[in-house]
Amino acid sequence: MPELPIPIPPLPTLHESVFMAIALLTVVGAFLVVAARNLFHNALGLALTFFGVAGVYFVAEAEFVGVAQVLVYVGAISTLITFAIMLTRGMMYGATSPLNRQAGTAAIIAATVFVVMAGLLGSLPWPVAEEPIVDGQIVIANLGVGFVTEFVVAFLLLAVLLLVALAGAIVLAQDRK
Amino acid sequence: MNNASLELNIVALAPAASMVIFALLVMAVDVFARGTRTQPVRAATPWVALLGVLVTAGVCVWLLGQPVTTFQGMAILDRYSLGIAFVVLVAAGLSILVSARYIPRVNAQVGEYYALILLISAGMMMMGAATDLIVVFLALETFSLGLYILAGLRRSDAMSSEAAMKYFLLGAFASGFFVYGAALVYGATGATQFEQIAAMATNPATDLTFIYPGIALLIVGFGFKVSLVPFHMWTPDVYQGAPTPVTAFMSAATKAAAFAAFYRVFLVALPSQQAVWGPALATLAVLTMTLGNLAALRQSSLKRLLAYSSISHAGYILVGLAAGSIAGVEASLFYLLSYAFMNIGAFAVVTLLEKQGEMDADGARLRGLGQRKPLLAAVMAIFMFSLAGVPPFAGFFAKFFVFAAAVQGGMSWLAAIAMLNSAIGAYYYLRVTVVMYFNAPDAETVSEVKSNWPLNVGIGVALAFTILLGVFPSLWTTLMESGVVTALALR
Amino acid sequence: MFDYAWLLFAFPALGALIILFLGPWLSQKIVGWIASLAVLSAFGVALALFASLYALPEEARSITITYWEWMTIANFSVPAAVLIDPLSIMMAIVVTGVGGLIHIYSIGYMDHEPRYQRFFFYLNFFILAMLILVMSNNFLGTFVGWEGVGLASYLLIGFWFAKRDDQYGWYADAGKKAFLVNRIGDAAYLLAMFIIWSSVGSLTYAVVEETAALLPTTTLVFITLLLLFAVSGKSAQFPLYVWLPEAMAGPTPVSALIHAATMVTAGVYLIVRTGHLWDLTPIVAQTVGWIGILTAFFAATLAIVQVDLKKILAYSTISQLGYMVAAAAVGAPGSAIFILVAHAFFKALLFLGAGSVMHATDGVIDVRRLGGLRHKMPQTYITFLIGAMALGGIPLLSGFWAKDAVLAGIAADGAFLIYSVGVVTALLTAIYSFRAVFLTFNGKPRDMHVYEHAHENKLIMVGPLWILAFFSITIGWFNTPFALAMEEFLSASTGHQEHVGLFLELVVVTISTIVSLFGLLYAWARYIRGEHWTLTLASWFAWLQPALDNKWYVDRVYDAVIVRPLAAVAGWFARVFDPKVIDGAVNAVGDVTVDAGEAVRKLQNGAIPTYAFSIFLGVVVVLIYFIFAG
Repeated sequence: MPELPIPIPPLPTLHESVFMAIALLTVVGAFLVVAARNLFHNALGLALTFFGVAGVYFVAEAEFVGVAQVLVYVGAISTLITFAIMLTRGMMYGATSPLNRQAGTAAIIAATVFVVMAGLLGSLPWPVAEEPIVDGQIVIANLGVGFVTEFVVAFLLLAVLLLVALAGAIVLAQDRK
Repeated sequence: MNNASLELNIVALAPAASMVIFALLVMAVDVFARGTRTQPVRAATPWVALLGVLVTAGVCVWLLGQPVTTFQGMAILDRYSLGIAFVVLVAAGLSILVSARYIPRVNAQVGEYYALILLISAGMMMMGAATDLIVVFLALETFSLGLYILAGLRRSDAMSSEAAMKYFLLGAFASGFFVYGAALVYGATGATQFEQIAAMATNPATDLTFIYPGIALLIVGFGFKVSLVPFHMWTPDVYQGAPTPVTAFMSAATKAAAFAAFYRVFLVALPSQQAVWGPALATLAVLTMTLGNLAALRQSSLKRLLAYSSISHAGYILVGLAAGSIAGVEASLFYLLSYAFMNIGAFAVVTLLEKQGEMDADGARLRGLGQRKPLLAAVMAIFMFSLAGVPPFAGFFAKFFVFAAAVQGGMSWLAAIAMLNSAIGAYYYLRVTVVMYFNAPDAETVSEVKSNWPLNVGIGVALAFTILLGVFPSLWTTLMESGVVTALALR
Repeated sequence: MFDYAWLLFAFPALGALIILFLGPWLSQKIVGWIASLAVLSAFGVALALFASLYALPEEARSITITYWEWMTIANFSVPAAVLIDPLSIMMAIVVTGVGGLIHIYSIGYMDHEPRYQRFFFYLNFFILAMLILVMSNNFLGTFVGWEGVGLASYLLIGFWFAKRDDQYGWYADAGKKAFLVNRIGDAAYLLAMFIIWSSVGSLTYAVVEETAALLPTTTLVFITLLLLFAVSGKSAQFPLYVWLPEAMAGPTPVSALIHAATMVTAGVYLIVRTGHLWDLTPIVAQTVGWIGILTAFFAATLAIVQVDLKKILAYSTISQLGYMVAAAAVGAPGSAIFILVAHAFFKALLFLGAGSVMHATDGVIDVRRLGGLRHKMPQTYITFLIGAMALGGIPLLSGFWAKDAVLAGIAADGAFLIYSVGVVTALLTAIYSFRAVFLTFNGKPRDMHVYEHAHENKLIMVGPLWILAFFSITIGWFNTPFALAMEEFLSASTGHQEHVGLFLELVVVTISTIVSLFGLLYAWARYIRGEHWTLTLASWFAWLQPALDNKWYVDRVYDAVIVRPLAAVAGWFARVFDPKVIDGAVNAVGDVTVDAGEAVRKLQNGAIPTYAFSIFLGVVVVLIYFIFAG
């Protein structure tokens, strides 16, 4: 078989394609947060972003952080925001402009942050794990064991955190006097 | 993972656990007493919460006699964590007393309010007990989330909602930096536990490139919570917008919690980098107290005044950390305790000056208070003098210990700046007393100050300790003394 | 007896508490007498302590009584303890003795004052704080008293806070000025204390004295320089003296008690108490000597041109304090305490005399409107004259011996330049003392209305004047040049005993006598006889007039260098923050009714991005620092 003159770039592995999909989802969510005209949609976009970030953690095999992300940000914070918006009539249905006079400044800040972060990521020599994580290792199960042993404090605290979110939701849900 | 290596000493979590249990109890009482006939039972929620605070305080006193216990390297029970727990309990207890007649006017969900205060306190106690970055972060988020809600408790009030929203958005922003910082520190050392971080940081084989940006971002995260300049801008708005008892609680307890972890992270996990972070913190301290004091000079709203004052106090407390010594830690602990008493006391007086439907009072309303309500004015004057650092009140020794620690730590210049600052600060605290005593009452002056007994008890306790800690500071220092040394195991 | 030393504090504390809680139900007279009795009882205790101390052999005259461990942190502890030694007991006697007389006088003086309860409470509180200041055995306890007397002084200067006139502006502001200027000195005191703590490990005077010699010179210089600032704040020395003239806004007994006899001498007390530190730092001690004597000189020049009787006395006080500070610093602490004690009596006498005039003339105190009052108020006149003679240094009165002791001490120390400035100041002192007397009491009445109204005061006010006059004459006899009884007694505390050679002593006495008599002569010739040569003499110094009118420009310099820049900074903050505050206040009222949609709008126009931007900027700066420092 003759060699092709131009090497075909290797297809992304399954791993990479999952990452890309999740990353895309995250970016779309983030864009929704900024651009959607309805505040409720903004909130949903935020939840989507949180999910996406959790997905990135899972892909990076940082399951614990992923779970924490889901519990804290998706479970607690997004819920709270959504509740708050749903219970505030004016916010729920009003259409608002995503642009105001600070939009320019905000864009500059966002761009700067991006450049700084990207620069940091690109230029710093990240340490690489010496041995790859073996496929089939029961990471999640380990995590589960970890939750009730090594990380039990964190686990308990997460429970308290959710309790706070719950109580907070009740307070916010109360109709105005 | 070896089960034999587990050390699940539940006793290390006992103070926080006790608070959570009582929080559930408060919610239960509240839920089961929703009928009209059981209204009196429902009114008991603050007292259940207060009981929780007292029981937990009892637990803490009992634990003082116990040996230092760790929980899986993630949390620790030592004099230091108990000291922080005491400060948080003081803040929670006093705030409950101040809230008792105030909160029902603001929000109908009284039961949840007290449950939240207890849960937030539990989170704050964990800040003092945490010996692992993950636990610090979770504890931070636990109490922050609760505070966001409490800041917006009065939903019908636009200022309150605005305060909550601001606090939440900026808080999330700052938390982001905190996590990033923790991640960078983890990236550099491969550890989240303080002891391990410290071991790795001194190990010559470790590549420490990432640890410095990590430390920087941790400072940002903590700096936001304790309102260091330039991460302070939310403070006046949120303090002003939140219901006053919440502001009182927030000002004292958040400082204690955030400083607790701030100290432990920097002194236990990162002592080998002190040459780098010491000057940075000293600079931040100078900026913070100076800006806070200067901005406070021209405030007319009492709550904004106290907000800027609280910013400057954060600067003073940070002096203790910049000193980086045992004396500095002890001094700051004493400062936090004194601050809880005098500052909540001052806020409690502010609640009395608010008019129906308001959640703030203008300084002009103090006019002639010395003639109208001589006792109340005298009490307020004592809180102000204590905040200004006039002996023999608690605030004096707080400043004395912290500045002395700075001098001992070879930072005389910092102590000098801090003292000049407290001289500036004296001006606006003094102005409050001037207005109370040296201005004639006018139409703006509150005609009737409606007091209530829980509030009076709260003010009384705060006053008693503001004076007691000034006359007998050894009450607290001997209680805590031996503990801090063992706690932080300073190298 | 020493077991009962606590009574010294208990009496004024009890008096203050009784007045605080029972005052509203008691009559004015009774409140006044309770306060006076409290102080007089303390005076009795002080005398008893003095007797017990005197009975002890000289080397045993230092008793420390520890009440409780005040605070303990780390390896460091401070006791709540009193130190009874010649120095502290002398101070206690002056404070309670002069204080007691002034209390009694106040019963008469404040008889038209509706807020007498508050007044006497403050006075008793002041006595308590002052006793803590002088009796503590450590720096920290002294500091507590130091702040306490500062607080009392502030409250009492602003006692008539609602009053306002051209001279003082709002009276409350005068109090504020005093408090804030003093805070600067206090900050220096604190810092000195920290340095002592971290270098010595103790704040007890005895321990500091023992170990001071081991400290490096730079540390000592720092400590003494900081103490110098503290002293110049409390004892009204350059550059922090500016508050004292304004402090005259307070009721006259307060000026007598706090701003002449007792509180302002706290700085002198502190220097004497820490004399060993100054001995080890001759450079700083010399500096302080100069500051003291120059303050004495400049204040005396200002005293000559004042037209307000109380202001004359105020500048005179600054001037006399200058003598004390100079003497204490250059190695004559015994004579510093001697003049302190003598000054307490004659200056209290002069102030109370001025108060007596004020009381009689319904507050007129401008010497240009007085004159001839000796016919109306003979007793006040005679006592005031005695006070002025003492102040002016007329031989055989206490002020003469005191000033002589100071000048001889300075001269014996070899500081002849300081000595010569001191002599010139003594001349000025004599002139302004008699100027004050002659303009007020002699000559013809300048304002008949005031004159007609004037009357002699009741016994309750005149009595204390006579007692003080008696001591103004006699107190000096305890310490005449060749029988320095007081200084010998004090030497157990000061560690100094000045032995001035016979020749030097005679020279100094002669010069002092000539100078004071010339001052008297000049004042008599000018202000009573109006002789021409005095004006000729004065015209030589006419070019100084603008400087004197502007108080040597010190206030202006302060205004330009400190006040205006600070006001500008604060103003900038006001411009940046106030719009938000005003907005916030208006909205707080208005927005209660505005619905949540409005809140959203507000939110979008709100300042969150600004806040976030601030955080972000902070992040960038902190990051850059750590990346480069790390």
